[in-house]
Amino acid sequence: MALTATGTTPPAETSTTRAVRTRRPRSSGWRGPSASQLFLVPIVAVFVVLFLIPLAQSVYWSFTDFTGYSVDVNFVGLANYGTILRDPSMLAGLAFTLLFAVGTTLLVTVIAIPLAVLLNKHFAGRNFVRSALFFPAIPSMAVLGLVWSYILSPIASGALNTMLENLLGLGPVPWLSEDSLARMSVILVGVWGAAGWHAVLYLAYLQSIPADLHEVATIDGASALQQFRHITLPMLTPGIIVSQFLLMTGGLKVFDLPYTLTKGGPGFATYTITQSIITSGVGQGRYGLASALAVLFTLAVAVLSIGQLIISRRVERNIL
Amino acid sequence: MKRNSRRSLTMIAATALALTVAACGGGGSAGGGGGEKLTFLSWSGEEIMAPVVADFEAKHPDIDVEVSYAPPVAEYIQALQTRVLSGTAPDVFVIAAENKTNLIEGKHVVDLSGEPWMSAIPEFNKKTYGKDGAVYGASTSTWGAGVAYNKELLAKVGAKTVPATWEEFLDLCRKLKAAGVKPYLEDLSQMPTIVSSFVGAHNAAQDFTMDQKIFSGTTSFEKEWTKPLTEFNKLYAEGLGDANAVGLTSDQVFDEFANGRVAMITSGPWNVAPLKKAAPDMQFAIAPVPAAPGGEPFLAGAASPGYAINAKSDKVNQAKTFIEYLVSQEGVQKFQKLSNDITVTKDYQPVLDPSLKSIVKDVRAGNVYLPMIAWTRSEDVLNVEAVAQIQQMVKGTVTPQEAAAALDRKLASS
Repeated sequence: MALTATGTTPPAETSTTRAVRTRRPRSSGWRGPSASQLFLVPIVAVFVVLFLIPLAQSVYWSFTDFTGYSVDVNFVGLANYGTILRDPSMLAGLAFTLLFAVGTTLLVTVIAIPLAVLLNKHFAGRNFVRSALFFPAIPSMAVLGLVWSYILSPIASGALNTMLENLLGLGPVPWLSEDSLARMSVILVGVWGAAGWHAVLYLAYLQSIPADLHEVATIDGASALQQFRHITLPMLTPGIIVSQFLLMTGGLKVFDLPYTLTKGGPGFATYTITQSIITSGVGQGRYGLASALAVLFTLAVAVLSIGQLIISRRVERNIL
Repeated sequence: MKRNSRRSLTMIAATALALTVAACGGGGSAGGGGGEKLTFLSWSGEEIMAPVVADFEAKHPDIDVEVSYAPPVAEYIQALQTRVLSGTAPDVFVIAAENKTNLIEGKHVVDLSGEPWMSAIPEFNKKTYGKDGAVYGASTSTWGAGVAYNKELLAKVGAKTVPATWEEFLDLCRKLKAAGVKPYLEDLSQMPTIVSSFVGAHNAAQDFTMDQKIFSGTTSFEKEWTKPLTEFNKLYAEGLGDANAVGLTSDQVFDEFANGRVAMITSGPWNVAPLKKAAPDMQFAIAPVPAAPGGEPFLAGAASPGYAINAKSDKVNQAKTFIEYLVSQEGVQKFQKLSNDITVTKDYQPVLDPSLKSIVKDVRAGNVYLPMIAWTRSEDVLNVEAVAQIQQMVKGTVTPQEAAAALDRKLASS
């Protein structure tokens, strides 16, 4: 470095510094994204086409009298929203949808965790049992609904009623024709269909818990229940969050199971919001109304889901 | 770097949006190819329609019909609605109760009333798919439902057929129940046949003006429907009908009848062949629904969906030629032999199963009624509400009057 009257002069650029300077990544600015960002294009395109555009269209149609047959529509303001809030069938649909979502979420969680703990142990035929419990998750819910509608047929010749009469001498139970029993039947079939899948999900999380923790706890004299409560359950918290999020969102948008099992009856006892959107709106050419219902439902699901995530994360932070 | 990443992402999203909007925009060209290609979205299945179309093409080699299929009802309505909205509707399609209001009011269908070959279609069928004197659908069949009965089970209590009056029918049910036979079962997931029949008779007694009056506000569902619903509900109030049928499907009701576990169900021509297959030894027939007190016997039923022409079609003449064949004696005969429908065109008498003997005359005369067809607007909305209210009524949760009043509230809010 040469000394000058004002101080030191900057060192002369060498070939090495020149190479480093040219190798330094340029600021991309508006000139072009990096390769990794380009990989986002397909998924962003899918998100835009399959979510943002339909959502924007639904919001627009919800303020019109769109019938689905022509784009010449009239603006009706909040009339569709008013119709929904005054319609007893739609309110009944909302009530049962919430009951189904909360009911299946709680019941599946309570069943799937102990089931996963059991499936994590070693016993003869474990793989077969795992497969058998997972199997209900494979056929579509519509198929399950059709099959169970025969099993739970409310007349004397129904499969379950025949068995109850032969074994216990019980008269026909109105599984699908009495309001409360119909709701319970739909929820229990939903739980039966989902419990195995979520048990396998929990099993995967269980298998990631280090065995050392249990060994140390055993050496320290902790019982099986204490180990479950203080080691297994806290370590399962991320899995519980994921499972409950999936159950809640799946439960809120349920359609195929109640529709094939009870068609929303008796009366509107097992009517769901999605059935209301599809039959009242789409089937009856009232797309404007269906869009308004879909928008309200989307907002409700978003609020519930975000709330659930916030609460779950706080619980997770406190536990872990 | 952070700001640059955000800029990059924004640019990517904008690019993606532009690309996708460009890809979605600009419809494909309609039609295509040379020749007289006529597109048709069929309501009936391929096994019925393909031979009919083949026969037409043999007689009209200058027209090539491109048939696509969508099964009724909801899937057909949805498929057609999507194509109408996207401007790709076929030249010929089917107009049904579920979509007639939207198609007619949206001016998506051509008026066929001036065509000479429409004279073969009965007035009842023309009115069903018409409005203000115009006719938009060529309906060549009518369906009617009655009471299917197991002759052997009825013989156990000395009955040979279904009685002609409602009181006698209830009496027969009481006798069957006392003899340990389940008297009656029906699918309550849709509008009960007996309700349609009673309301239809009530409408006929008012010169077929009842529904007009309800929809114009001169009268109400509560005033007109309470009595028919009360009569129908006697079946369930006395335990003669099984209220648990609320949770049954029509297939399950059919199975009960085919297996000889119930003496009577409501049924129509569509069950004849399946019944003969499921229970080849069963002696059965279909009788008209008994007349409600003070009324005449009436059938539940409606004009079958009709063939219609797309108002935006550029092959209207060819479409008319095709429909002319479909309503002609040859076309109807060909179709009827494959479908076993009760066709109603004036120049062809269908050959039908003997079990339908009792109802054919009324069906061909148009003495049938279905609320959803007769209603002038909000048909589906009201039908869903009516079925739900009737289900609650048979379970004893609401009274017939409350069920009828609920329809008024639904009409007012729709």
